[in-house]
Amino acid sequence: MLLTSVIIVLREVLEAALLVSILLALSSVLGISRRWLGWALGFGMAGAFIYSLGVAVVSDWFDGVGQEVTSAALQFMIYLFLLLFALLVLRNPGPRRLSDKQIMLVMAAIVALAITREGFEVLVYIYGFSSDLPRFAIILLGAVIGASIGVSIGALIYYFVSSLSYRQSLVIGIGLLALVAAGMLSQAALLLIQADWLPSQLPIWDSSAWLSEYSVTGQLMYALVGYEATPTVLQASFYFGGLLLLLIVAILAVRFRRQSV
Amino acid sequence: MLLFACSIGTVPVQAGKPVFEIEIRDHLFQPAEIIVPANTKVKLLVYNRDPTSEEFESYELNREKVIMGNRKAVIFIGPLLPGEYPFFGEFHPETAQGKVIAE
Repeated sequence: MLLTSVIIVLREVLEAALLVSILLALSSVLGISRRWLGWALGFGMAGAFIYSLGVAVVSDWFDGVGQEVTSAALQFMIYLFLLLFALLVLRNPGPRRLSDKQIMLVMAAIVALAITREGFEVLVYIYGFSSDLPRFAIILLGAVIGASIGVSIGALIYYFVSSLSYRQSLVIGIGLLALVAAGMLSQAALLLIQADWLPSQLPIWDSSAWLSEYSVTGQLMYALVGYEATPTVLQASFYFGGLLLLLIVAILAVRFRRQSV
Repeated sequence: MLLFACSIGTVPVQAGKPVFEIEIRDHLFQPAEIIVPANTKVKLLVYNRDPTSEEFESYELNREKVIMGNRKAVIFIGPLLPGEYPFFGEFHPETAQGKVIAE
């Protein structure tokens, strides 16, 4: 039971931790205040709390697929905000940007949405044990361990990205964000397939023998690059389409860069 | 109990996708194995008869969905190649295990 709660919480925390660590590292590289993080955590936790209370109602929307549609919408919004982030950062170089405020807002929105999406499942899970105090304590302990592992992995990525030169951290930071963003989009597609809003097909490949989604590496790759062992064509198209769009936007933003003020 | 277990399983199809029902009771899936037609999209109706929430999860089926206590969930799966596709209750994986068999 301890291990279960460690794994559940780690899985949910990992994705948000990745986003937070990369954005935080880029924040310090760009010389932007970190004030946005507190707001993002606050709004994210409030969002997760509200969603966790409303999930029974939300689930009944759209003939029983409201949960899929809501989660897909959250993932889709995270993708759009990540796209906007890349655009704002790359289009406005230099230490003093007029757009710093906008960038902070976008970062806060990304993290708040991610915490809402991932956090509600953790809360729903924990509520289930609240009437049984000894088990509740074990579940909470597992949650703390899981969250700590997630945060530690995030810290590693934070130090890695901030240890690079300005140019390198921008390229690698935004590159990593692009991978996470594409993963978000492919998950959104998967949720809509599960809801029968998008057509489903047979998987285009099966790499489960090579890298299982049960494994730690598989889980990490799922969070970081949206790894799926058996994706469908539609999911892969969303993934690579999303990645391509973000890279094109990034390249255009650099090419038509606004002159420093 | 047995009688009840027999009464669930395949449900007549209105039109379109075949519907299959599964129950969660005492953190167990009943039935724990369901046989679905291969290469066909099917609709799973998962009834959670426990007061606690559960998450239907399967890496093989690429599905995950939170099901609150005493609620039901709709999950579309497939089309599947013939084979076995394990699923589990992520919140109680010690007991909540099952599989979809496509044939």
